[in-house]
Amino acid sequence: MKKYAFWAITALLLASCASNKTATMGEKYALMYEEKPATVVVMPPINKTTHAEAKDYFYTTMYYPLCEKGYYVYSPYLTMELFQQESAYDAELFLEGDLTAFRNMLGADAAMFTIIKDWRRNNVGGKLTVEVEYILRSTKTGETLYTREGKIKLDTSSGGGGGSGLLGAAMKLAATAISTALTDKVVAGRKCNAYVLSDLPAGKYSPRYEVDASAEAGESPVEATVK
Amino acid sequence: MNSRIIMIAAALVLTLASCGSSEKSLYSWYQYEDVTYRYSKNPTDEWQEKVVEQYQKLMDSQRGTRKTVQPGLYAEYGFLLCKAGKTEEGVSYLKKEIELYPESEQFISRIIKQFEE
Repeated sequence: MKKYAFWAITALLLASCASNKTATMGEKYALMYEEKPATVVVMPPINKTTHAEAKDYFYTTMYYPLCEKGYYVYSPYLTMELFQQESAYDAELFLEGDLTAFRNMLGADAAMFTIIKDWRRNNVGGKLTVEVEYILRSTKTGETLYTREGKIKLDTSSGGGGGSGLLGAAMKLAATAISTALTDKVVAGRKCNAYVLSDLPAGKYSPRYEVDASAEAGESPVEATVK
Repeated sequence: MNSRIIMIAAALVLTLASCGSSEKSLYSWYQYEDVTYRYSKNPTDEWQEKVVEQYQKLMDSQRGTRKTVQPGLYAEYGFLLCKAGKTEEGVSYLKKEIELYPESEQFISRIIKQFEE
């Protein structure tokens, strides 16, 4: 009996590991492997929510994961100045438009657009919902090289403790309010990046460059609840 | 029997380990994200000091697999120096960015021009 249980657990573990994805990254993002963009400019996020500050929170979070993916990423702090000078801080104007200006001004091969669709906190549950669509477009051809959407819920409650009953609930609420006061909106953005960009084909500075074509592509949208 | 179970267990551990492989970072980041974000929101002298500290740490001790400074970092630091009036030193860091990442030349030389005017 014990033996059967062991095998059942083994099978389950292996099954959960090799989930039911189908396409490889090379198939799903063929244009990425064809064009091989090396330099990426992060466009100011397009904010479709009523939270004006979401754009600001999210903008600089893209730099780190794209660098770690092996791309040359123009520092968002530096490009922000340029965007403001050239009145390009509203990326919506470029989402479907001509991108050669960014090729000429920066030398960027591709532009990463993000559309923030949801950025909302449920105060009682302490959950922060972030929904963002990512679109990487070629500055050469204007084609979309990569696109994926993330729906991430960040559980900001302090978890455990606080006891039960009304007092416990009140204490928990207070703890949540304190822990969410500062940067958890930034944290939520970072988590969303991490989930979504996990299957972005690697750039030339990564050891995964080109070899990741045979890896399985992820699903879109990618949904997760994280602590 | 026992050795068989151990072998299976070992194989299982290996399989799972390869499945949840956490890749090593290309670069060290330390508190870069937090400190630069706070500085951008609150550009006081105190935070500027902390940002400069971060940049120095990032330039001096890169332990990632690439063993070099990440894209844009020399440029950010150089830009900060230029803005603080240390144009000469700042420009030298901006040039370092181009040296390390020639693909940045178009953009960085634009910035250099701004400060050298």
